[in-house]
Amino acid sequence: MNPNFYSLKVAEIRPEIKGKATSVTFDLPENLSETFRWQAGQHVTLRFHLNGKEQRRSYTISNPPGAPLRITVKRVAKGLVSNHIGDYLKPGDTVDVMPPFGQFSLTPDPVNRRTHYFFGAGSGITPLFAMINAVLKEEPHSVAHLIYGNADSESIIFSKELDKLKTDHANQFTLRHVLSALSLWSWVSPWRKGRVDAEAIKAAVTETPPVAQDVQYWICGPGAMNAGVKQALMALDVPANRIHMESFGGTAVTASSVTGNAANAQVELGGATHEVPVAADQTLLNAILSAGLTPPFSCQSGVCGACKARLTKGQVHMHARMALEDSDVTRGDILTCQSIATSDKLSISFDN
Amino acid sequence: MTRMYHRLPVDAYTSQDWFDREQQLIFSRTWRYAGLAEDVPEPGHFISVQAGLNNIFIVMGRDHRLRAFHNICRHRGTQLIRAVGKTQKALTCPYHDWTYDLEGNLISIPDEAKEYPNGVDKSCLGLKPASVDIWRGMLFVHPDPNPPSLVEWFGAVDPLLGPHKPEELVEYPDARQSYEIKANWKIVVENYIDVYHLSHLHSNTLHMYDHARAEYGWKGPHYHFWEPPASDYAKDLEKNLPTPRAIPEPHIGAWVPMLFPGIGLGAGEDSWNIFIITPLGPDLTRVENRTKLANASGWEFQKQEWSSWSFWKDFGGPKYPDSDAIGEDDPMASGDFTAEDIYACEQQQKSLTSPFFEVGPAANGESPVVRHQQAILDFLETQEAGT
Ligand code: FES
Ligand code: FES
Ligand SMILES: [Fe+2]
Repeated sequence: MNPNFYSLKVAEIRPEIKGKATSVTFDLPENLSETFRWQAGQHVTLRFHLNGKEQRRSYTISNPPGAPLRITVKRVAKGLVSNHIGDYLKPGDTVDVMPPFGQFSLTPDPVNRRTHYFFGAGSGITPLFAMINAVLKEEPHSVAHLIYGNADSESIIFSKELDKLKTDHANQFTLRHVLSALSLWSWVSPWRKGRVDAEAIKAAVTETPPVAQDVQYWICGPGAMNAGVKQALMALDVPANRIHMESFGGTAVTASSVTGNAANAQVELGGATHEVPVAADQTLLNAILSAGLTPPFSCQSGVCGACKARLTKGQVHMHARMALEDSDVTRGDILTCQSIATSDKLSISFDN
Repeated sequence: MTRMYHRLPVDAYTSQDWFDREQQLIFSRTWRYAGLAEDVPEPGHFISVQAGLNNIFIVMGRDHRLRAFHNICRHRGTQLIRAVGKTQKALTCPYHDWTYDLEGNLISIPDEAKEYPNGVDKSCLGLKPASVDIWRGMLFVHPDPNPPSLVEWFGAVDPLLGPHKPEELVEYPDARQSYEIKANWKIVVENYIDVYHLSHLHSNTLHMYDHARAEYGWKGPHYHFWEPPASDYAKDLEKNLPTPRAIPEPHIGAWVPMLFPGIGLGAGEDSWNIFIITPLGPDLTRVENRTKLANASGWEFQKQEWSSWSFWKDFGGPKYPDSDAIGEDDPMASGDFTAEDIYACEQQQKSLTSPFFEVGPAANGESPVVRHQQAILDFLETQEAGT
């Protein structure tokens, strides 16, 4: 991946779901189109300087390749960056953007004939929306089924666009809404009430079983939903290599029941060892940055893996670890941007 | 000197050698029809199919996805499953009870510790995977776990096969039949795609369609054919259709393609039929027919029968009048075009072993016959180059 930032001009700002989310479209100069070529499902990292501090967030590109570069950012309660984007960003502004990256991507191929099931919730729709569009555009012999969970009909991102896809591609696309807080006044009558859970998944697959037998499952929602959907699919004997998933990109994960403690960390970086104090609930990355060191990092969302280090002593809790495989974790790899200390002595190394 | 029958040697229709080569290089190397999608309706159901030299079975997993495996126990090769059935979670070989799960993994060997004191690595003894897919409501299998996709194989011919959606039609079980023809499989294919014979052999059985206006051609090894209804029939088509429409108006005509190798379809305004050709020997071929009709009520079928009665009551009849027929069951007096075709194929095959057989010039309407022979040659050549 290309770790450099490029300054891009905002072409359009569009509020979604009554301002609770914001779509930002960028002008992409001709000479950057190659650098910024993306696969449906990939992210970009944005860099802002807010209140005198640098903030980085990665957001999923919500358009299919070939369409304008656009991200859709849902507001996070008290979220520094998402609210800045929603409240202050305007056309003509420039933003530092790092080129697209990410493993959660769908590459369409016209000779493929696949059945794609998409399970999403909330702003997890952004990569799925790009993927669905890519399939409908580039895989004429494949079908896409979307099962999409939201609290209520008001909070469905891309609601109109999805309806339009359904009309325009009636033979290739099905759309099923699952609403957890169904209000009486809802204008949309959902396919099911509740959540995208094991039962909903079983019902969906039984209702629209695969015709094309190369079946792929794409999951993007909050961590808990992802794990549940994956488990439900595995319980139906879906082979793991057909399941692709990702937690929402974009929101720096803060809410977590796990609390960390203050610790002292020995940090091996660039051939030297440094003693770094870590405050309770401070991420290791932030602690290391505060100590004046320059560790590698990029998205600060647990997505890109740039901040990876090896934990050789002590224990940490990771809020998210999307960029790591299970085998990395067993080996002791951690994402420093997502780790808080849970033991009071730590040793980590960036050098291997 | 090799005696030729257009592009192919006459031998290709009579010798065991050619039969073996075709089995190996054509029927064991292509996507093969394996049934209708509804033949494997629920998780746990399975069927097996002979596809050239390969016996492949298809089973539906709990995720409703189909899996295909070579039907060969990894112990001593015994075929694991019989034609059709249903299982919960596992498949057990009848011989020594080795048991596989529905992903093909070998999950148990009886008396494992005692019989294999040095251990046995079950993870290397899973069933060999094959491929399965569904296309136009039909199951297809391929012996290779990573074959060219059906888009690559049928994509180009697909738009020329008619607007039918077989998955939305219902099978008419009375029309399901399977019979043997004493002729080489290519003779049967050639008969199916011979445009010349339509107005002659079937002069009195298929004339509701206008053969003179037939449009036909090839996409790779696949043949496509369409012809419009004849004017008498077309005049009051909606009234004259024997059963309710299977495709929406304004589509009309008969689509009668022959997909490679030996997969015939025959579809019209009110029905969809398959004609699957399987070689059994150099001069013996099995044909399997199945028919699907509109998903309409009995009452609608009744109404259509009444409305079309006046057209069909005087339609057709035997090619040869009764006086010329030899006996009661002379196919040429049957008034049944299938019987006419079988008769022609078998009569032709009989002459191929005669030293005096010499093929006459191919007519325009026989160009598909010659082109099919070329398709065989081309396919064999690519396969031989690949091995
Ligand atoms: S900075 Fe990207 S995963 Fe930590
Ligand atoms: S041959 Fe199948 S168990 Fe022995
Ligand atoms: Fe015929």
